[in-house]
Amino acid sequence: MYFLQASGNSYGLSNVLIFGTIGMFVMAITLVSVVVFHQRRVIKFNKQLQKMEEEKQQMLLKASINFQEEERQRIAADLHDDAGPLLATARLYLNENLIHQEPAIQLQSIFSAKQIIDDSIQLIRNISHSLMPPTLKNFGLESAMKDLFEKINGSGVINASTRFHDNRERLREDQELLVFRILQELVTNIIKHSCAGFIHLTQNVQGNFSYFRIHHDGKGILQEEFEKLNYDSGGLGLKNIESRIKVLKGNISFDIDSTQTYYKVTIEVPREPARN
Amino acid sequence: MVLNQPAILSSITLISNFSDLLPLVFFLLFKKNNNEKSLRVIFYYIIYCIINEAIGYYFYEIHFKNIFIVFAIYTVVEFSFFCLFYYYAMPSGGRIKKGVLLIWSLFFTFSCIDFFLINQMNAFDSITSGVECIFIILLCIYYLVVQLKGSNNLFVYSTSNFWIVITFLIYLSGTFFLYIMTENMIKDRAFQIQYLIINSSFNILKNVLLSIAMLMKETPPNEQAQKNKNWDDRLSYNLKN
Repeated sequence: MYFLQASGNSYGLSNVLIFGTIGMFVMAITLVSVVVFHQRRVIKFNKQLQKMEEEKQQMLLKASINFQEEERQRIAADLHDDAGPLLATARLYLNENLIHQEPAIQLQSIFSAKQIIDDSIQLIRNISHSLMPPTLKNFGLESAMKDLFEKINGSGVINASTRFHDNRERLREDQELLVFRILQELVTNIIKHSCAGFIHLTQNVQGNFSYFRIHHDGKGILQEEFEKLNYDSGGLGLKNIESRIKVLKGNISFDIDSTQTYYKVTIEVPREPARN
Repeated sequence: MVLNQPAILSSITLISNFSDLLPLVFFLLFKKNNNEKSLRVIFYYIIYCIINEAIGYYFYEIHFKNIFIVFAIYTVVEFSFFCLFYYYAMPSGGRIKKGVLLIWSLFFTFSCIDFFLINQMNAFDSITSGVECIFIILLCIYYLVVQLKGSNNLFVYSTSNFWIVITFLIYLSGTFFLYIMTENMIKDRAFQIQYLIINSSFNILKNVLLSIAMLMKETPPNEQAQKNKNWDDRLSYNLKN
């Protein structure tokens, strides 16, 4: 009897052992399979995201190259269409026959040539200023923006103002130029598309970041729309803004205030003070 | 443990014993110059397993009474090797490494108490083995969870550490019930046969999986990060010039 009981008990325990072992083994295999399959799915998703990011990068790079080409074409056109004819005309006034002319005509020709050369100098100066505003280089971003806004105010259509709260330390020269170009592009867009009555730019510093905020009362865009336009094939301006922000390692956000009246564009730029 | 084994059991035991050499050979062939500390730990663990087999055989033949000491020491040393491997394999972060040290200390204290006071060196350390299995299984699950959470784009099964972790997970899951029942059932003839079959089978599986771990390549650098950096550099160059 005792033997039977002992055997029965042993048989039951043996079952526990076999089923327990199989159960644990299956559980371990299942766990590993779940991890592997889940990770495969995550990697697949990440790869898709990377592909999209790569496409975006390519688009931005393309936009920056196109922008560069457009800028070159504009300078070439300015030089060819304006400076070229001016200098050619000056040359005409100063041709070889001038010495055979009467002194009064000679003086008149020299005066006209001088005037044309002055015009050419002014033209070349304008081209140079459009490439790198001298106010920005010499006096900083605040002065450059004030200059730009003065020109805008001169039209009488829109009221533009600026206030820099903390400009004791200037940004690095290349950073200033990039921020200036971004602000210039934003202001141009506001003038062109938003029908705004006023534009107000403020600057502030918080920790290691400089913040630039443009308010306007026109029809603006929100962050979602900005992202969408950025992915579209057209619209070079916004892509340039995005690529410049990327170079600055900063952020840009488009939103509207709580009263739904004013649109705001905020740029966050990590501060890298100018090297002396 | 079993005096008159059938031929098939002898074969399984023999294969199991010799299978310990398999990961060792693979390590020497493919990972000899590898400086990864986690792999080195596993290499020493394999050597220890081989030495333990020899010592176990000696005790089984000559000092059968003291064979439980070999088992108890094996449990502690195996856990120590796993903790050390885990310590090196886990990504940087002080908390988990301190946690591993704490778990090891707790386990060591517990196994000493079990061995000297509860078992008194004359029975199989079922409780300690069970606790070891639970700790290692939990640590393995945590490792897998960390791998899932990580944003690394490298397939998890292409790393040696993953295969080592699943080796321990499967081996200790498979032998968990076996070890916790050994203390009470060691004199049962049928159990002895089952013990040999299950232990040897999982030992062979462990060595095969460890060998696969030794075949895995080095971790490649994150290519995508480099690619993005190149894009950024080009953009920055275009906009500054």
